[in-house]
Amino acid sequence: MNELEDKLALYLRVKLAAPDLTIANLARIPGGASRETYRFRACYAERGKPIDRALILRRDPVASLIETERSAEYRAYDAFHKLGLPVPEPIALELGSEALERPFFIMAEVENCTTGGIMSPEPYGPHRERVGRQFYSVLGKIAAADPKAIGLDDFDGAKTVRDAASHEVARWEKVIDEDELEPQPIVRAALRWLKRNPPPPAQKICVVHGDYRTGNFLVDDNGEIRAILDWEMSHLGDPLEDLAWAIDPLWAGADPARPGGMIARAEALRIWENASGLQADPKALHWWEIFASLKGAAIWISAAREYEEGRNIDPVNAFSGWYCLSVHNRVLAERLAAEIGA
Amino acid sequence: MRPEVGTILGLSVQKLAMGIGQEGAAFAQGTVGLLSMVLSLSAKEYERGADIRVTENREIRALFAELAPSVEDSKLRAELTEASASSDPTLRISDLNAANYKLRRLLTRLLIDAEEHGALDAQKRIWAVLNALAERRLVQLGP
Repeated sequence: MNELEDKLALYLRVKLAAPDLTIANLARIPGGASRETYRFRACYAERGKPIDRALILRRDPVASLIETERSAEYRAYDAFHKLGLPVPEPIALELGSEALERPFFIMAEVENCTTGGIMSPEPYGPHRERVGRQFYSVLGKIAAADPKAIGLDDFDGAKTVRDAASHEVARWEKVIDEDELEPQPIVRAALRWLKRNPPPPAQKICVVHGDYRTGNFLVDDNGEIRAILDWEMSHLGDPLEDLAWAIDPLWAGADPARPGGMIARAEALRIWENASGLQADPKALHWWEIFASLKGAAIWISAAREYEEGRNIDPVNAFSGWYCLSVHNRVLAERLAAEIGA
Repeated sequence: MRPEVGTILGLSVQKLAMGIGQEGAAFAQGTVGLLSMVLSLSAKEYERGADIRVTENREIRALFAELAPSVEDSKLRAELTEASASSDPTLRISDLNAANYKLRRLLTRLLIDAEEHGALDAQKRIWAVLNALAERRLVQLGP
C-alpha cells in the first residue's frame, strides 16, 4: 500500500500542480467489482490555503468481472456531473500504465453516505419512498439528456432507434458464447425468445447507465441521493433498458410490488415518464425486462468463468455465479413459461 | 453449479493466504464477509448437490421418454430415446455433471425442435421441467 501511496502522491503533485501534496488514509474499499476502489485524502495548499480533499481511486484490476471501457466511464461521470445530476466530480483519468501500473481514474468522494444492499428486504429503511422518487426521477433525467449535447454521442452502442435491442442481444449473446461453463437451456431459450419477439423501436437513443440499480448509488442520512455510481457499462441505447434493469427482481426483491426495495412499480414508472418525457410502453418494457434478466445471467456466467479460471478470485464472482445466476434463471423460466401459458 | 464446490474451497484458501488484511480493514471485512457467505453456500451445496443432479437427470430422462415418440426428426428422436434409457454411472458430482450436461444440451435441442414445429403442448411440458429445474437450483441465502 505504501508503494501505491507514494506513486499516487507523485502523480497528483503534477496533476494538481501541488508540489507539497501528501496522501493520507489510503485504503481499499469493497464494491465496484470490476475495478479496484480506494479511498484516500489528498492534503495540499492552494494559493496558500490548506486543502484536504476526500478522493476515490478506481484502478483497473488484472482481470475484470466485465470488460469495460474506462474512458467511457470517466466521460459519463464528467458529462452528468456537469449536467447537475448527483454524480461524483471526476478529477483525473490515466489510460497508460506508467503512473500506477494499470489505467485508473480519480474522482471526488461523496462522504457520509451509504449504499443499499441488494439482498436486503429494506435497503433504505424509512427513506424508501423518498429515495425511490429520486431514484426514478434521476433515471428519467439521464434518459432525457441528449447524447450529442452532452458530448457522449460517440459512445459504443446502438446507432439507430431500430437497432438498440438487437445490438444489446448480440453483445450479451457473445459474452454467453465465450464464457458459458455448462449448458444453459433457460438462458438459451431467452436469447431465442428475445430474437423472435423484437420490441418496438426505441423512442430515442440515449445514454444508458448500464447498471442503474439498488446498491449503485449513495444516500445520505436524510434519504437524499448524493451520487450515482458505477457508470462503467454506460453506452448508447434504448432508455427502457435502464428502467427494466432498475426494476429487475434481483435487486432487493423481497417484495415484487416494490422493485429495488423502494416505491411501488406503477409510481416508479409514472415518475420516470414525467422526468424523461418518454413512455414506459408495457409491451416494450416487458421485452426489456426479460432482456434485463438475460443480461444479468450473462454477467454472472462471465463472473463464474473469471473465478473458475483463476483470473479474478474475488469471492463476489463465485457468489454471482451461484446466487445471482440462480435467481435470474428462475425469473427467466417463470416469464418465458408464462409466454406460452405454461 | 459453476464454480464447483472444490474450486471455491481451493480458491478461498488461496484468497486468505494472499493476506487480505494488507488491503485495509474495510476491504478485508468485506472480503471475509463474502468468503464466509460462499463457504456457507458451499456447505449447503455439498449437502444437496448429488440429490439435485440425480433428480434433475431423472426428470429430463422421463421427459425425453414422454416426448421422443412425437419428434419428427429421426436423428433427434433416436438420441432422445437413447438418452431416456441412460443412467448415472456413479453418484460422484463429476459423473452426475457429465451426464447432466449431455442431457441439458439435448433438452435445448428438443425445445428448439418444439419451437420450430409450433408444438405448444411439448413446449409446456419442457417448461414445466425447466421451471422445476430453476426452482430446485435456486440458491437460498437464509439458514
